[in-house]
Amino acid sequence: MAEKRRAMIKIKPKKFKVGDIVKVDFIAIHPMDTGMQKDKKTGEIKPAHYIDSITFSFDGKPFTTMKIWESVSRNPYFSVNYKVTGKGKITVDYTDNQGEKNSKSKKVKPKG
Amino acid sequence: MRKLLLPLALMVTLATAGEQFAMSDADRAMYKEMLENNPADIFVEEGGELFEKLGDEKALAKFLGISEKELPKYIAGFPRYIKKLGNVVGLDQVLQAMQVEQGKKKTKLKSTEMFSMLAYVKSLANDEQITIDINADKHIKASYELGKKRFETPRGGRGLSCLSCHSADIVGQILRTQPLPDLGKAGSGATWPAYRMTKSSLRTLQRRFQGCMNNALMKVIPIGSKEMVGLEVYISTLAQKEKQPIAIPGLKR
Amino acid sequence: MERRKFIQGIFATSAVVAMAVPSTLLAEEAKKEATKKGPNDMSFEEALKTITNGKGAKESDKIELKVPEIAENGAVVPVKVNVDHPMEEKNYVKAIHVLNKGNGNARCADVMLTPANGKGYFATRVKLSKTQEVVALVELSDGTFIQTAKSVKVTIGGCG
Repeated sequence: MAEKRRAMIKIKPKKFKVGDIVKVDFIAIHPMDTGMQKDKKTGEIKPAHYIDSITFSFDGKPFTTMKIWESVSRNPYFSVNYKVTGKGKITVDYTDNQGEKNSKSKKVKPKG
Repeated sequence: MRKLLLPLALMVTLATAGEQFAMSDADRAMYKEMLENNPADIFVEEGGELFEKLGDEKALAKFLGISEKELPKYIAGFPRYIKKLGNVVGLDQVLQAMQVEQGKKKTKLKSTEMFSMLAYVKSLANDEQITIDINADKHIKASYELGKKRFETPRGGRGLSCLSCHSADIVGQILRTQPLPDLGKAGSGATWPAYRMTKSSLRTLQRRFQGCMNNALMKVIPIGSKEMVGLEVYISTLAQKEKQPIAIPGLKR
Repeated sequence: MERRKFIQGIFATSAVVAMAVPSTLLAEEAKKEATKKGPNDMSFEEALKTITNGKGAKESDKIELKVPEIAENGAVVPVKVNVDHPMEEKNYVKAIHVLNKGNGNARCADVMLTPANGKGYFATRVKLSKTQEVVALVELSDGTFIQTAKSVKVTIGGCG
């Protein structure tokens, strides 16, 4: 059952121009369960449930793809750089091993 | 002044290997940087949406009988005596009272929704100094005294008090690989609610107290009870003395 | 009253023994957890072979790998990788792989970069089951691989 997953994209610094290299931070709320832990309440093993694929795109064009494994922390954080080419939108599409697909976007507004 | 009598058992587990587990400057910088991308930010955002349903800052200010402008500094003075409620209460209890007033369903104090809402509302006071005045009225004074007493009185299976691990004499010693912090200097009262890394979730100060009580084999006191609120008042004044500004959400082990 | 104090005393002592379990015993338990088989389990050596197609990777100081010396906890360990290498159309950092040497699955993240990134940089937070090395394995656009590793001490303990 796909729950709407929460996520956040931060671009640093807040003020930048075309040609600058900014830092793109992405955090998603996700259990990143390894499939080897017991549920404290039921005693049952929680099935593996982790983000396994991420694509960062600018105006639809991918500039970074990631293959993610269950060793990454819960509510994971990922950060890459991006060289600003103009006004547009950064979109992060992410899928998990159970087939859940989610997406988050952030506008890129360079000054000058 | 009661002499601090550490149960022999506890003394056995304390170590003075401070060097071994002390955080290097480089490590400290790395963890500090993590605050910029705190997963709790997302929970705080969620809390903001829940708060919006209650009417936002406008409704809160109205409920408290103050102007919106006064809100940040007023929030920084919680827990405080609210005449309308006849008790010294935390922000979470105020939010609950607002729900009741609006005929809405009460959110449990010990719930992720309430933790998120509390974090959001407290974050409105970010950068402010804690402004608890323990002499403002007899109620807050009594709450402070009750909290301090609870902090200093041993109870439970190990005969420990909060003071056993959190007194000035003990600060810096190691318990279960963790250097024991000075709660005032660490600004506990100003940096909770926080994201707890070992729990990967947003937790409040009173919730943390419960965890501590559980580990120390003390009977766990309910969130929102007179004693818990008193403890929060007391712990917050420790941060206040050290002039630790409010910074929500925090990031803790 | 005497009898109750006596019993409380025993309880306190035994509870303390439980609390004062030496770190070696706790490490044993953690080891048991760590040696449970996961579906993606792969050793570092195997992962290195797979990723580099058997070529292996030379140690390089062009990779700046930042991890804490002592991790506050094993659930959220920050990792930062910066590669001192251009990011031009025909000469760039093609991928940054973050691996570990002590978890069941040595792989943490495989990050495929492009010149559009501007810099060979990646950061994340990983779970480490015990004290171990974290490895940054970098692939350059010319097909060569370089690597560097750093050890992270993971303390098992803390008050819940």
